[in-house]
Amino acid sequence: MTDAVRTQGLFKRYGPQVAVAGVDLVVPAGSFAGLVGPNGAGKTTTLSMITGLLRPDGGRAEVDGLDVWRDQVQVKARIGVLPEGLRLFERLSGRELLHYSGRLRGIPKADVLGRAEDLLQVMDLAGAADKLVVDYSTGMRKKIGLAAALLHNPSVLFLDEPFEGVDPVSANTLTEVLQRFTASGSTVIFSSHVMDLVERLCDWVSVMNGGHIVAQGPLEKVRGDRSLNDTFLALVGGQRDGGDTGLTWLGAKNLGAKDLGAGDLGSRNLPGGDLGAGDGEPK
Amino acid sequence: MSTVALFAQLKLRLLAGNLRGDLSRKLGFVFTLVMAVLLAALGFFLMSLIRLAPHDIATDIVIVVYTFFLIGWMIVPLLAFGLDDTIDPARLSLFPLSTGRLALGMFTASATGVWPAATLIVTAGALAGLATGVGGLLVGLVAVLLQFALCLVTSRLITTALSGALRTRRGRDVLAVAAIFVVLLAQLPNLLVNSDLGDPLAILRGTADAFRWAPSGLAAHAISDGGLVGLAELAVLALIVLLVGWLWIKALSRALVMPDSSTQAASVRKESGLVDRFLPDGPLAAVVTKELKYIRREPRFRVGWFSAVVVTVVLAFSLGNSIGDSSGGEVGPWLAILLTSSGALMIALQSGNAYGIDGPSIWMNVVACGSEESFRTDLAGRHLANAALATPVLLLISVAASLFSGNPGAIVPALLAGWGALGIGLGVGSVTSVTIPYTVPERLNAFSGAAPGQGGQAFASSMGALLGIMALSLPFVVPIALGWTWVCVLAPFYGLLVETLGRRLGAKIGFARLPELVAAVSRPT
Repeated sequence: MTDAVRTQGLFKRYGPQVAVAGVDLVVPAGSFAGLVGPNGAGKTTTLSMITGLLRPDGGRAEVDGLDVWRDQVQVKARIGVLPEGLRLFERLSGRELLHYSGRLRGIPKADVLGRAEDLLQVMDLAGAADKLVVDYSTGMRKKIGLAAALLHNPSVLFLDEPFEGVDPVSANTLTEVLQRFTASGSTVIFSSHVMDLVERLCDWVSVMNGGHIVAQGPLEKVRGDRSLNDTFLALVGGQRDGGDTGLTWLGAKNLGAKDLGAGDLGSRNLPGGDLGAGDGEPK
Repeated sequence: MSTVALFAQLKLRLLAGNLRGDLSRKLGFVFTLVMAVLLAALGFFLMSLIRLAPHDIATDIVIVVYTFFLIGWMIVPLLAFGLDDTIDPARLSLFPLSTGRLALGMFTASATGVWPAATLIVTAGALAGLATGVGGLLVGLVAVLLQFALCLVTSRLITTALSGALRTRRGRDVLAVAAIFVVLLAQLPNLLVNSDLGDPLAILRGTADAFRWAPSGLAAHAISDGGLVGLAELAVLALIVLLVGWLWIKALSRALVMPDSSTQAASVRKESGLVDRFLPDGPLAAVVTKELKYIRREPRFRVGWFSAVVVTVVLAFSLGNSIGDSSGGEVGPWLAILLTSSGALMIALQSGNAYGIDGPSIWMNVVACGSEESFRTDLAGRHLANAALATPVLLLISVAASLFSGNPGAIVPALLAGWGALGIGLGVGSVTSVTIPYTVPERLNAFSGAAPGQGGQAFASSMGALLGIMALSLPFVVPIALGWTWVCVLAPFYGLLVETLGRRLGAKIGFARLPELVAAVSRPT
């Protein structure tokens, strides 16, 4: 069996900070693969570099045995991408967005129209197909983004946090579509930090931490006889000892009358710095 | 008092937090600071110079200046909504604050800052310029503070009352287009001066009379009067400030509990398929279809196109007037040619940063763009869409400009030259689009066309485009200036040549730096 995705020493740094420090990611063809890791582990950076959206500082990435940066025409025809953040062409309607992305890839118009209608039906978006994407909810955006990524029938699908902020009904639709997709022999790679979901859907797991792959393989092998969550916490060092010593004031038994009113607001309840820090950081 | 101190602190922390870690923002802030200090000093100085004028004229001037400030405070924060985090009351709605304290706090927050301070200083300049005697000084001091408070409270009332609408997508779309009117207003003095309304003193007198009984007029008159009448005017003014403040508090408490009614989305019309009738099925038709939709639906495109046409019309009026006056009637065809070409350039210059408006959604193009050729197709589609709309507009401009300058024979050369200029502009634009790309912020305001920290790129991009266009236009500018109008026949071909070469070069550079292009246009705004 060939590998759908294989990277060697993929490396990316932003200034002094190394985001991805030599990742050797392997995903066999036909698998439903989960890329898991804590925030800041380098998942998004890795996926961006494999899909040609970010230039690596070093290393190689191959999709279906083709070099991502040398054989761009073939690689880009084979991959479907749903990046993080989901910025779509906001001023097109859902249907127009599908038509555009299909025809941009050179698929004949008649085919595009048919496939778009199918996808809209399956994604339960037929009712909102003529509304502008800018007015869509998060779940609808993920679904239309996935539809656009599937329209040209890719062999490998890259999804960055596809279930984040999605309601259970939409999530169910998404998983059904993805399971059908992998059942036909295509590959899905998605990043997530919801372990239950990964455990339920995936047959292959890659665990990232601090810019490295720390474990990789079939789900059963990686988790052993523990749950994936426990394995994950053990791998990335998430075990905390005595983490509850500092929060002695927290909880109902400590609730005094003076904390209920707005009387001491000036001194405590409105820390300007907290508001400011949130606004000052780039998203 | 603690509320005042707290909110002043909050505002200062927000200002400081915005500057942390980003050199270009720090430089921008220093620039703003220097500008504000200079303007405040200059304003104060000019206001104190008013003392040299006769007393009634001085009063009139102060009335007009105060009214100008008041209107400015009403409009500018609205257009720059989003620059100040303390303006949006929704951010504070979860804190246990009574409406009164919230109002006091937000008033403090809006009074804290560089521009409010500058306004206060310039407003106080009227004291030096107008007040007479100790009584006048005392009355004047109160009047200045009241006028300042009025500016703030009115501006807050308007932003708060509209903040619900401003948070919806539609409201922001409308507001973005409203930014054009600032461009128009900036042209107003130019038009006025050109149309010889007459004696500037009479204009001043008329304007001052019109605003004599406006709140700002009351404040100005109170300073100049300084006696019992002045005191009465102050009382009225104070009442007005309180009334506006009360309205603002009402609006504030309403805004805090009103639901966000932003998702009443309308459907779009079905495609007409017009493009597909003229173009073969394929990526090119897809790009043209999408671009035409974007020009129609995206407010930033609407602003661009609208202002291109408006600026050309304004240019036509002011040039036509001044040249018509000096030469007494008959003007050569060069005027129509010049006007149509400038219109074409304004339209083409919008493509000088073709990927800026697509912004972060550009990844959808990038994951589909596997070769230099498909990048070229993308540029071609954009140019075709642009030209399809520009052609009728240019026809209109050339006809209007020729008839306006009394030279109907100039229509054809003007139109040909316009097409040539369009081609040159698009060709140069496709190179600047890929060499100096920058993010165009979602919310256009009248003051900045680039994401924070990319002002330099925006400037370099438009300067580069202008220089390139000027250099490439020389082969036609020189003969036309010499009167050889017939060279216009060649202009469309030359334009097409430049466009083709520019597109090829742009695609070559652009395809090689796709990831960099994505990064440059996906900056947070």
